[in-house]
Amino acid sequence: MNAWLEVPRGWLDSFGEIARFGSQVTGQVFSGRVLRFFGESVRQAGILIFGSALIIWAFVFILGLQCGIQGAYLFRAQGVPSYAGLFSAWCDLREALPYAFGYILSAKVGTGIVAEIGAMRISDEIDALEVMGVPPITFLCASRLLATWLVLPFVYLAGIGIMYFASYLAVVEQVADVSSGGYSLIFWMFQNPPDLIFSLIKGMAMATVIVLVGCYYGYTASGGPVGVGTATAKSMVFNIVMVHILGMLGTVIFWGANPRAPIGG
Amino acid sequence: MVILTIKTLLSAVRPPYPYGEELVDQFSFVLKLCWFPLLISTFALCVGAPGLQAAGILSLFGGLDRLGGFFVVTAIRWIGPVVTAVVVSGVAGTAITADLGARKIREELDALQVLGVDPIKNLVVPRFLALMIITALLDIFAIVFGLTAGIVAELVYHQSLGGFFATLFANASVTDIWGSVLMCTIFGAIIAIVCSYKGMTASGGAAGVGRAVNQAVVISLVAVFAFNYVFTAVLLATNPELQTIR
Repeated sequence: MNAWLEVPRGWLDSFGEIARFGSQVTGQVFSGRVLRFFGESVRQAGILIFGSALIIWAFVFILGLQCGIQGAYLFRAQGVPSYAGLFSAWCDLREALPYAFGYILSAKVGTGIVAEIGAMRISDEIDALEVMGVPPITFLCASRLLATWLVLPFVYLAGIGIMYFASYLAVVEQVADVSSGGYSLIFWMFQNPPDLIFSLIKGMAMATVIVLVGCYYGYTASGGPVGVGTATAKSMVFNIVMVHILGMLGTVIFWGANPRAPIGG
Repeated sequence: MVILTIKTLLSAVRPPYPYGEELVDQFSFVLKLCWFPLLISTFALCVGAPGLQAAGILSLFGGLDRLGGFFVVTAIRWIGPVVTAVVVSGVAGTAITADLGARKIREELDALQVLGVDPIKNLVVPRFLALMIITALLDIFAIVFGLTAGIVAELVYHQSLGGFFATLFANASVTDIWGSVLMCTIFGAIIAIVCSYKGMTASGGAAGVGRAVNQAVVISLVAVFAFNYVFTAVLLATNPELQTIR
């Protein structure tokens, strides 16, 4: 029976430590101490743009196509194919995009950070940093968090555009039940700027948690090359669950009491 | 990767079959790791996305009993398989890559070959089969918890559950279920092959294993979602009876 409860028990063990570590890193960013290493932040931001942005957008594009066809077939069945825009507007902006962003970030960026920092920990480079008088948490973790905050909002916004385009392709060009104008009318009617802001907040909360969890598991990796691999795997498990929980909380907080739809009173 | 797929398939069906014990081991290992993350993930996702969002708009129309029909579309056809695939690739896939990668780095795979033990038959095939079976079974598990989330959303809006179940069972068809399960079987195969391949070709010490895990999970996620799109489009286009609302 113990083996079955190992995963939840491991989370309970590490949750407090991750929270402490995360608040420490966030504190370093807010107190401005990370600005000493602003160059490192810019370098990390560049790595994010060149390494992860394209894959995020590709993933978002595929999910946009999915939202499109599911919505198109759903509303064709209801007899109102012109309302496919409703499904794709909500699916794209409110739910699918934050989740897609969270999945691919935890897969690409989160595990990447664990692999990188974990390898530094294993080869004693972090101790070397400390000996040289460079605070390792600020240099390695806080600078990555700052880079995330600098770059990812823009990647996210561009991703929204790509996803809209993909849904348009799927609904109007692939399934082709509705004209382009009819689709756009409903599509834009069912969203407004606050929705965009809420969606962005959801996505950025996920990104912050993913980077912090990645930094924690990398920073505390131990046990040789195998240890880095296991730490990477563990961080992925934790991140996936956190992405889903944050997604649910975001939905409940932002749209739970008020669906924000232009229907009725 | 294609070569590895063909080799795996061939050595899975060709006798002898020495991998029975390892298969059971892997099966229980994946199940122990996956059940809890999957439970939380499907529940959270289905309460949020199809549950509260759809219940919000349906309550504006005064037709909350229609949520059951909507859950067939989302929970069974889409979210169940996708979340299962994401959790399996994130939990079991990364574990497989880390495990095989560590063996590769410590040259255990070469040692196996020297001993005359085929690493594909003894390591990859059991993982491949176990992941295929277990992803399909976990899909059912995910659907059950997805529907539980639908019930919770319905209760949040103070509705009776009769309408939910009525539209749910009226709209769910056998094709939906087998489509979902078949999709998950293929997801499991994709994840197993990608993760085993990346693990077996890991190189470069401590950073190498981490990087292999990183690449494996990214590639398997993108492959799974791309395949999901193709499969859904084909399923919906070739089975028009799925599109009627009852």
